[in-house]
Amino acid sequence: MAVCIAVIAKENYPLYIKSTPTENELKFHYTVHTSLDVVDEKISAMGKALVDQRELYLGLLYPTEDYKVYGYVTNSKVKFVMVVDSSNTALRDNEIRSMFRKLHNSYTDVICNPFYNPGDQIQSRAFDNMVTSMMVQVC
Amino acid sequence: MARQGSRGGAESKKMSSELFTLTYGALVTQLCKDYENDEDVNKQLDKMGYNIGVRLIEDFLARSNVGRCHDFRETADVIAKVAFKMYLGITPSITNWSPAGDEFSLILENNPLVDFVELPDNHSSLIYSNLLCGVLRGALEMVQMAVDVKFVQDTLKGDGVTEIRMKFIRRIEDNLPAGEE
Repeated sequence: MAVCIAVIAKENYPLYIKSTPTENELKFHYTVHTSLDVVDEKISAMGKALVDQRELYLGLLYPTEDYKVYGYVTNSKVKFVMVVDSSNTALRDNEIRSMFRKLHNSYTDVICNPFYNPGDQIQSRAFDNMVTSMMVQVC
Repeated sequence: MARQGSRGGAESKKMSSELFTLTYGALVTQLCKDYENDEDVNKQLDKMGYNIGVRLIEDFLARSNVGRCHDFRETADVIAKVAFKMYLGITPSITNWSPAGDEFSLILENNPLVDFVELPDNHSSLIYSNLLCGVLRGALEMVQMAVDVKFVQDTLKGDGVTEIRMKFIRRIEDNLPAGEE
C-alpha cells in the first residue's frame, strides 16, 4: 500500500523511516525531506487561530511522477509522512486518513513505553510490525 | 485499579489505568537508571513490593471481610478472586496445582502493569512486574504464611501469558522467646 512511512520529530529530524523496496531508500529519504517544507508551508499558511483547531491530517502534500506524498501533523508537531505509489488509484482519501490514525495510535503506544525516551529513534517491534503491515497490505 | 478514598464505604474510586501504568513504568525505569544491573533492580522491586504487602494486607482484611482461610487452596482463591480484583481490577486464573497442594500458578491474561511496555534488549533479565511478587510475599507473611513467589512466564519476554508461581513453605508460628520450645 504505502511504499515509505516516516515519523519526523518536532525539530525535523527523523525518528523513524522505513521504505520498501529497500534499495531505493535514499531516494525516499529525499522525498520525505522535501515534503517537510510543504508541511511547514501548509501550517504557516494557516492563521494562528486556525492552527489550534485545524485537522491533523494535511492531505496530499505533493504528487511526483511515480508517487504521492501525504502528511499528518500531531498537535505536538510530530510529523508523519507517507509515500504512496501513484499507480495505486484504488486508495481513497479516507483510507489514507485511517492509516494515519492507526499510525498515530501506534506512535502513542510507543511514547507510553517507559523505556522509550522521547526524541530517540523508534526501535519498537510493535510499531515496526504495524508499519510493515501497512506497507504490504495491498501490493 | 480501584482505590477507595474514604475508609469503610462500599464505593470504590476509579483511577485512570494509564496514569497507574505510566507511574509504575516511571518507577521501574528510574530504578534501572539507579542500579547497575537487572538483578539489583529485581531485588529492589521485590523489597518495595514486600513493604507494600505488609501494609496492604491490613487494608485488604479491613475492606474485604474475608475470614480465616483453612487451607492453601482457599488462600489461592481469595488472592485471585478478591485481592487481585480489588487492587488491579483483574481476576487471574489458578492452575497447575502441585500434587501435594502446596504450589500453584496464577495466570494473568493481561497484566495492567505492562500495557505499552516493550523490554529493550539490554534489560533481558529484568523482571518488570517483580513488585507483585513482593506484595504477595509480604501480605501472606503478615498472616503467618511463608511463601515463595516468582514469575515463570512473562508476556514481556514473549510468552503467551504471565504466570506467577506461588509455593507454600511453612506456617510462621508466633515467635517464642529464644531458647523455649
